[in-house]
Amino acid sequence: MDMGFHGAANGTASAAAGNGGGGAQAPPVREQDRLMPIANVIRIMRRVLPPHAKISDDAKETIQECVSEYISFITGEANERCQREQRKTITAEDVLWAMSRLGFDDYVEPLSIYLHRFREFEGEARGAGVGHHHHGMPPMMLKPRGAPGPMVPHGDMQMHAAGMYGGGAMPHPHHPFHMPPHHGQYPQYEMYGGEHGMAAYYGGAYAPGNSGDGGGSSGNGHGGESTPPAANFENHQTFGYK
Amino acid sequence: MRIARPYSGVSRSGATARTGPHALPLARIKKIMKRSAGDGSGGDGAGARMISGEAPVVFSRACELFVAELTQAAWAATLEGRRRTVHAEDVAAAVRDTDLFDFLVDVVKPRGDDGGGVDAGGRLPPAAPVHRGALD
Repeated sequence: MDMGFHGAANGTASAAAGNGGGGAQAPPVREQDRLMPIANVIRIMRRVLPPHAKISDDAKETIQECVSEYISFITGEANERCQREQRKTITAEDVLWAMSRLGFDDYVEPLSIYLHRFREFEGEARGAGVGHHHHGMPPMMLKPRGAPGPMVPHGDMQMHAAGMYGGGAMPHPHHPFHMPPHHGQYPQYEMYGGEHGMAAYYGGAYAPGNSGDGGGSSGNGHGGESTPPAANFENHQTFGYK
Repeated sequence: MRIARPYSGVSRSGATARTGPHALPLARIKKIMKRSAGDGSGGDGAGARMISGEAPVVFSRACELFVAELTQAAWAATLEGRRRTVHAEDVAAAVRDTDLFDFLVDVVKPRGDDGGGVDAGGRLPPAAPVHRGALD
């Protein structure tokens, strides 16, 4: 369907031109390594477009290319900084710094909040135990049952994520990581529908309807109280483009 | 049984096991980062700069904001052309009209064969570079 063989045809040409910072002499990069999955990109696009809007295939592919270029662009700047300071690892701070340098300073605040939530979530999950909000969460992060282990180089983090959300049991709908507390304080979220959109992802992950009976693989994932917000999240189409 | 299996990718709103809670897959982001940061060594292996696990997390959100912003700008161009289908040319127009997106001019430049300008009423010569001296 729209998984872009089309893109593969012209992709080689633009890979050289578009990938700017990278390896011109590197072996040809597979399309699926070079671009974000088109479905994810389309999903994000649709969130900010009115329901009656249509998106042509070439526009989808262009945006897809732009995302990769964006990552390269920012990473290149972050990389230079690391080089200057003789550091080996590009950190989240380097990325944020590069964004503010390159004109994306509007992103820095929401991203910092996002990162902060993520860290809290991480610390909580591996620190005092998973059962901070709830009890009896099975140690999913220890066994990568639900996590795509082989394809994740730093499995640790992603396994948490996949285990917590993708694994079907999301017991607490207001987890600190995914919901900035000051709703509406940052116009950015409203403007892009970003926060809501993100919430929609979580909504999908733990919405009881999603898996029939509330993702019961862990036995405690019923989360009856998560129904109202989930229902709410489903309507995310209606905002965000004005 | 009824639960979405890790690889099935059927979560309704897009959070799959592949992306976890993030809108975009971290592993893919990391690959792209590696390619941009690996000092010419190209490969993912030794020699390339390392990437902290948090950096792709930041990017997964940043790319959402970025796609949203670019799409909105493109949609404005679509509306201007009194259409309701976003075309590549609209994305190109958004890029040309927004300083922030300057780095994308080479990406959205019509590539000759699929020439973007057909639907935009031919206002822009397909292959001509953009003149925007005032902004530089």
